[in-house]
Amino acid sequence: MFSTKASLTKMRGAGYSGVRWLVWSFVFTGLMFAASSVVAGEDDDDITDYTVEDGKVDQATFDGYEAYTRVCQSCHGPDGLGSSFAPSLMDISQSRTLGEFAATVANGQEIQPGQVMPSFADDEYVMNNVNNIYRYLTARAEGDLGRGRPDVIGEEQGDDKNKEEEESDNGSEE
Amino acid sequence: MLREFSYAIAAIGLAVSAQAHANENLLELQENPEYWSTQLGNYQGNRFSKLDQINRDNVDELSAQWQFSTGVLRGHEGGPLYVGDGKLYIHTPFPNKVFALDLEDNGRVVWSYEPDQDSRVIPVMCCDTVNRGLAYADGRLFIGQADNTLVALDSEDGEVLWEAENGDHTKGESNTMSPLVVGDKVIMGISGGEFGVRGHLTAYNVETGEREWRAYSNGPDEDVKLDPEETLMMGEPVGEEDLGETTWPDEEWERGGGAPWGWVTYDPELDLIYYGTGNPGTWNPDQRTVDGEPADNKWAITVFARDPDTGEAKWVYQKVPFDEWDYDGVNENQLIDVEIDGEQRKGLAIIDRTGFGFLLDRENGELLVAEKFAEETNWADSYDMETGRPNVNEEYSTWRQGVDVNTTDICPTAMGAKNMQPSAYSPETGLIYAGINRICMDYEPYEVDYTAGQPYVGATLNMKPAPLQDENGMEGRMGSFIAWDPVKGEKVWEVDERFAVWSGALATAGDLAFYGTLEGHLKAVDIETGEELWSFKTPSGIIGNVNTFQHEGKQYIAVLSGVGGWAGIGLAAGLEDPEEGLGAVGAFSALEDYTELGGVLTVFTLPDA
Repeated sequence: MFSTKASLTKMRGAGYSGVRWLVWSFVFTGLMFAASSVVAGEDDDDITDYTVEDGKVDQATFDGYEAYTRVCQSCHGPDGLGSSFAPSLMDISQSRTLGEFAATVANGQEIQPGQVMPSFADDEYVMNNVNNIYRYLTARAEGDLGRGRPDVIGEEQGDDKNKEEEESDNGSEE
Repeated sequence: MLREFSYAIAAIGLAVSAQAHANENLLELQENPEYWSTQLGNYQGNRFSKLDQINRDNVDELSAQWQFSTGVLRGHEGGPLYVGDGKLYIHTPFPNKVFALDLEDNGRVVWSYEPDQDSRVIPVMCCDTVNRGLAYADGRLFIGQADNTLVALDSEDGEVLWEAENGDHTKGESNTMSPLVVGDKVIMGISGGEFGVRGHLTAYNVETGEREWRAYSNGPDEDVKLDPEETLMMGEPVGEEDLGETTWPDEEWERGGGAPWGWVTYDPELDLIYYGTGNPGTWNPDQRTVDGEPADNKWAITVFARDPDTGEAKWVYQKVPFDEWDYDGVNENQLIDVEIDGEQRKGLAIIDRTGFGFLLDRENGELLVAEKFAEETNWADSYDMETGRPNVNEEYSTWRQGVDVNTTDICPTAMGAKNMQPSAYSPETGLIYAGINRICMDYEPYEVDYTAGQPYVGATLNMKPAPLQDENGMEGRMGSFIAWDPVKGEKVWEVDERFAVWSGALATAGDLAFYGTLEGHLKAVDIETGEELWSFKTPSGIIGNVNTFQHEGKQYIAVLSGVGGWAGIGLAAGLEDPEEGLGAVGAFSALEDYTELGGVLTVFTLPDA
């Protein structure tokens, strides 16, 4: 249920980060349209063109899931579905372009007194993962990706402890 | 008639035995069954009322008399106070409004108070901008505002009498708890366990707001106000010095959490206050090891018994050394007098986050009973009654499984088998009544850096409904309301609910127990069987506490509805069906299908005869 600012050493897909920092320097100066065009220049498809195969996803979408779960979920609820505290993000691909999404994350928002989204501009982990978070949420919003922790395409399903035992337990009980 | 006579005797007995340290005014109010003068009903935290006008035979006629919208949308925890002056005192989440409402005029606003607070505190409030309510003594109301200002108000007109600074939001500190007045002191904790704060409990002078003492949850003994020669642990002196420092790697204790944000209870005879401390800093246990081995991380997740005058620790009991699941140990410590093996004991009972029901000796902190009240609990098999330590199940040890490994199907979830929702205890039945959570989790720790004022969590969680332990349970249920025998360590009955039961319980001499549901139903059940006798749908989910009082010969039941808190954040969208992959049909409901935000007080009575 919780989130946090994570250490940079744990970042995956760091290869994009140079381009992303360039993107961020534009966003920080408020040039949202320029930022969007830089993103597009990088090839917009790379950013939002997630892959989902049998419920498994590409690495960048997984990184987005992970960043969402660490940072955004504590207000926006599990799997982008919203909570009593902050809205659902399941319409994100309709309501915001990547540039607009990134600007909201960077600047935060005061919706009404007492309802505040913090700024993540100083949070390098979040800012480096904004594209991935958008990519993950788009996959969710488009209905292509279900709830929960997706596996990564081509990776062994070895990380989840107890799952195998659980399944064999179920088998023996029935 | 007989009943009233026995109250009089009981009241005299209490008045004689109570020592001068208790707040005399508050003690007097608590002894009058017509009043509800503290959030937990009395110093002992029993949430029990001797009133029986509303009872098993007539509760089906209970009707809403009036409602009052607080104008605030966020989660409404806590409940109304009544101290016999014809006014009901209520509070709200951020911006922490306070209202005095006229009971004789359908809740007309006698006065209201709204502080001007720094909204930058909101992003450091982990789990909604909740507040667990007001305290009252000697014509003063006290509220711990979100922005760490402790305020005393004149209960006549809502004028501010004094303000005190209890914390700093730029370090991640905030306030959600209800203060407690003991003697000439207002006792106050702190929130911020998810931001690496260093937990503390502080006493302020009731007249002036001046700080009298502060005791930290970690660090050197001097700061913890612990004397290793005197302070007891499992009935023996702690022995070793500065365990609050040495059971942490490097300087990790400085961001070691242990935030006491729950309830404080008080024994006027022993003159001791009791409270629990929260989780130890980051949720990634690997960052809290010493030389690569698990370390106790004292004094997180610990019950403290302290002298309210000096803050000195009389005894400590650490419920979870080296936490690996965020089993934040703040749950209320109910002070109950029990008979064990023919011997009268001064007990302290906890329906704990961990899924275990504890009974301790409240004079020396000795562990007497530790049994699971939520059968699905699997992180530990049992407690070692000699050492007081849990027998942890390695399969569910998130440290043994490792960093960046997703340990699955741990029960209960970090929300706990019970969270902050306070339980009730009936001295007539000897049982505890509690709303509980039936939710499990997958938990994946990861390395996290500390930055002041930023979240310091280091684990991701996925929650799921707990598996049913027997075929009689409700399919897909996420909560229950239970009756628990604290001495036998056995569940007597349980009623399943669709969602976690996140409201404070009430037990009454009318043979009733009350609780609210996250859908918004206020329910009365037979205290003997749990059979539902009455229910009313309030406008929003209930995470507040059900309180009762009597005014001009009429008994009232009152509750704040207004969904939110961690329950609202976690359950609004419903949980993932853990069986989905196995082909079962899911029945796991989303809270948003049942309720929306909005704070409302509803006041109930029986119709005039």
